[in-house]
Amino acid sequence: MKNRIKVYRAMHDLTQEGLANELGVTRQTILAIEKGKYDPSLVLAFKIARFFGVAIEEIFLYSDTTERR
Amino acid sequence: MKRNTFYLLTGIVVLAEVGTFWFSVELERPILIQIAFILGVLLLYLARQRVDERREDERTAMITQKAALRTLEIFWVIFFALSLGSAVVAFSRPLGLRPPLPGPPGTTPPDMLELPFIGGFALIQMALLSLMIILYVGFRVYYARKYGDWDTDEEQD
Repeated sequence: MKNRIKVYRAMHDLTQEGLANELGVTRQTILAIEKGKYDPSLVLAFKIARFFGVAIEEIFLYSDTTERR
Repeated sequence: MKRNTFYLLTGIVVLAEVGTFWFSVELERPILIQIAFILGVLLLYLARQRVDERREDERTAMITQKAALRTLEIFWVIFFALSLGSAVVAFSRPLGLRPPLPGPPGTTPPDMLELPFIGGFALIQMALLSLMIILYVGFRVYYARKYGDWDTDEEQD
């Protein structure tokens, strides 16, 4: 699953550490999501979308070719 | 409590456990090390909850779950195989279900397990526990790597 967290972070002038603290997760988790190594839970995905004030589809882009983990 | 303080405390507890084990062997009182071990683990669990720096979230929880599941999948097979072997040994002895084999004339078969055998069983248990820890740590490292625990990017120092 692709995502645009990095773009939205840049728009809000936020570091990974800053976003992680806001969401109550570790910086490595934000990094792993941005790099596509970890797909967040639905709850965390909604938290991220709500934090940036956009719909979840604006940030997370589902594609059928996602590698099964 | 800082994370390094927790690691220091862990080291102290481990040293205390080793000392207590030695003391327990000297006094021939197994209850000493058993109580000390349980208290030590409880102390470390409580201390871990007081570590300030946040290190756990849904991703780390998932890594832990996957590592634990894989460890269990392998461990139970090894444990079961070893237990089956032990059962065969137990049933082959006089205390087993089979009647004891007749010994040389004028001798009687032993009617209880000998202590060295029980000591050997304890060592096998320790070896199995060590194997479980090694398996878990190995899988933990594998999944931590897979889910980006050691990845770096331009934001990292």
